[in-house]
Amino acid sequence: MKDNNPLSPHIQIYNWHISSLISISHRITGIINIIIITLICFWVALLLLGNTNYELIQNFFETFFGKFIIIGTVWSFSFQILSEIRHLFWDLGLGFELKTSNVTGLIVIFGSFIFTTLIYILGRNLI
Amino acid sequence: MINATKKWIFLKISSAALVPLMIWFLFNLVSFYDKSYSEVLLFFTSQPSKFLFSLLVIFAYFYSALSISEVFEDYIENNKLKNVANKLLFLFAIIVPISTLILLIKLSL
Repeated sequence: MKDNNPLSPHIQIYNWHISSLISISHRITGIINIIIITLICFWVALLLLGNTNYELIQNFFETFFGKFIIIGTVWSFSFQILSEIRHLFWDLGLGFELKTSNVTGLIVIFGSFIFTTLIYILGRNLI
Repeated sequence: MINATKKWIFLKISSAALVPLMIWFLFNLVSFYDKSYSEVLLFFTSQPSKFLFSLLVIFAYFYSALSISEVFEDYIENNKLKNVANKLLFLFAIIVPISTLILLIKLSL
């Protein structure tokens, strides 16, 4: 059965702007984040297996790839947090002007990297 | 109040709740991810981290189910397929958080 609702413009013919980049990235990071949370739930489940089996997970997180996964997770969540705050401001009727929207979009992009660095440095007690 | 308005309100409440929960979890995640079994176990079984992590999982799945169903609405043309995708999504959003809550209780015993 066909739906008469119009579909979103196809991303391949879409003219890219900061707003469209943030919008599609917001959706992609949202899906990635729920996959990550599901994996964290599996991580919790693995704790039931006990100390011996857990060494495999601990060893994995000590590798370069393990650290990359953690930093990637922090970035993906950071992007979602900042983008969500931008959405909440829009819900209050603030930040709709084109210039403001572009500036807040750039804040989300660059802020996510700064936020990731800050969380990692402060969380690991590196300073 | 129409269903779309209710959905929007629930989406906004869950997203506002998720912002501080995600920040709290990220700080903890980077501090314990490579720690020993006993330290990771302590994080997931002691309060307030057990309570806050449970809230994070519940709100994250609730928010994701609502927002991913919007993605389905935008990109899936076939109604039958969209309904199946939505049902699977909502089932997943109920099963995983409940299983995780049970696991957290079991780990604490």
